[in-house]
Amino acid sequence: MVGGLKRKHSDLEEEEERWKWSPAGLQSYQQALLRISLDKVQRSLGPRAPSLRRHVLIHNTLQQLQAALRLAPAPALPPEPLFLGEEDFSLSATIGSILRELDTSMDGTEPPQNPMAPLSLQNEVPPQPDPVFLEALSSRYLGDSGLDDFFLDIDTSAVEKEPARAPPEPPHNLFCAPGSWEWNELDHIMEIILGS
Amino acid sequence: MGLSFFSKHLPIQEGQPWALKTPADIISTVEFNHTGELLATGDKGGRVVIFQREPESKNAPHSQGEYDVYSTFQSHEPEFDYLKSLEIEEKINKIKWLPQQNAAHSLLSTNDKTIKLWKITERDKRPEGYNLKDEEGKLKDLSTVTSLQVPVLKPMDLMVEVSPRRIFANGHTYHINSISVNSDCETYMSADDLRINLWHLAITDRSFNIVDIKPANMEDLTEVITASEFHPHHCNLFVYSSSKGSLRLCDMRAAALCDKHSKLFEEPEDPSNRSFFSEIISSVSDVKFSHSGRYMLTRDYLTVKVWDLNMEARPIETYQVHDYLRSKLCSLYENDCIFDKFECAWNGSDSVIMTGAYNNFFRMFDRNTKRDVTLEASRESSKPRAVLKPRRVCVGGKRRRDDISVDSLDFTKKILHTAWHPAENIIAIAATNNLYIFQDKVNSDMH
Repeated sequence: MVGGLKRKHSDLEEEEERWKWSPAGLQSYQQALLRISLDKVQRSLGPRAPSLRRHVLIHNTLQQLQAALRLAPAPALPPEPLFLGEEDFSLSATIGSILRELDTSMDGTEPPQNPMAPLSLQNEVPPQPDPVFLEALSSRYLGDSGLDDFFLDIDTSAVEKEPARAPPEPPHNLFCAPGSWEWNELDHIMEIILGS
Repeated sequence: MGLSFFSKHLPIQEGQPWALKTPADIISTVEFNHTGELLATGDKGGRVVIFQREPESKNAPHSQGEYDVYSTFQSHEPEFDYLKSLEIEEKINKIKWLPQQNAAHSLLSTNDKTIKLWKITERDKRPEGYNLKDEEGKLKDLSTVTSLQVPVLKPMDLMVEVSPRRIFANGHTYHINSISVNSDCETYMSADDLRINLWHLAITDRSFNIVDIKPANMEDLTEVITASEFHPHHCNLFVYSSSKGSLRLCDMRAAALCDKHSKLFEEPEDPSNRSFFSEIISSVSDVKFSHSGRYMLTRDYLTVKVWDLNMEARPIETYQVHDYLRSKLCSLYENDCIFDKFECAWNGSDSVIMTGAYNNFFRMFDRNTKRDVTLEASRESSKPRAVLKPRRVCVGGKRRRDDISVDSLDFTKKILHTAWHPAENIIAIAATNNLYIFQDKVNSDMH
């Protein structure tokens, strides 16, 4: 196609390929992706319902990344002293609760069968967050907040709550380049998000 | 119909940019009616603009076939869902024309939640000479009326009237991505991220749920419906595509709820191309039956594929739209372009397919000769009777004059929505807030 041009590898592609041969490089790449994905989840704020398609695709990508990071051998880093060792915490559980919360915010009430009588809905109590979701988060992150508040809380807690402990932020203009992020900081940040 | 799109000098011509100004004017859908005489666009601001093809004029042969604005109306307004504290955008997601039954034209337009049926009528005469009413239209005192007078129709300037006929609300919890009118001309369907509903065109207070993929627990949600369409001839068949790259053909005769598909069209993943973005780029953004009903055309992020209804294992044809982006997926993920929903279109004879790309480029693929071309919708190329020049994106190495390098592509200029006239080589291209209409020169000269 396109006049039989041979595809030339761009720098980034070569970089990606090089990473395939270097476990540390690959992990940095995965972590960069993870960071972008988490940023996306946090930034999908707004007065409008987020695109479910985009959400699900990011969610599935995050799960793949999580699986890849679990499979990868632990890098030779000094043990993280602040790692609180909550082994059963998982990223998928967090994303799951995000999706569940999305569900309560979007699908809390089924559409009325008869739109001629929508008034009956006004007497109904607004949907309450799922009880499991309540357990997963400390109460100060909740209230009656919807999805937006939940994400806002993630945002502030991940960045500001424990600045002294937080790892140095990679430069924001890095475009998918491996940052200075370490692989088990994910668990650390997710703990902060969960407020555990 | 000749395949002149691929001749040495591209014969697509007569560009006619319909320039608009504000972000609300970003075109969000383009649709020809069944004869091609009318073309409707919907925009982010909830407006619908209808263009009509000018009849042939001996005095001005150059204006033959050009589309002019016929009617503009506000279809949807922004709303607020107080129950869920969410804004409902007025953006028109899709427009579908109904087959014409009488002198009036009808179309369905939808935003994220509500579908509306509009009737478009013309009036070029008005009744005059009512002797029961005075000049201001007030009823006269009947005792003063002494003679019988029959009103007569007098010609007047053409007036196009658009009126809402039906409002189909409250049928969707998630965002509507597709509507499709059935070949029975009585029903249509609307698809959102998780459900598909079947409506009768005359009944607004109920719809039947024909597909529901919402898991009991939203944590288990890994797949959404991305597009859906009725078969053009068999009113019992419809197809829907998913974010995992599969197509499901359903037969409404099999069961009331078509949760079990009749056929599943899916291509096994190529292990050599596997990456973290495999699923995202395989997500189907559009599906269209061929006019013949034999094939389906799907668009995913990097390719367009033609599927035969009789072969589920793999597409019969795959065309690369912009394979040079494969090395840029990470950046495109970061800037969210990877989630862009490109549409695709068949030509009238199902022999050529068209789809959009970035940098105001769009692509055409000739299924018979396997030739393809990249064209650009731009103001320069769209001067009246200008011939579109093929563009080339150069990947690395040698760069010819006029080639554009991958790194200088403008990802904010994307052509998501395109439409092909049902019978002639006339195409409509929505490039952000410009609508370009290009016409095959050979074709127009023949008429």
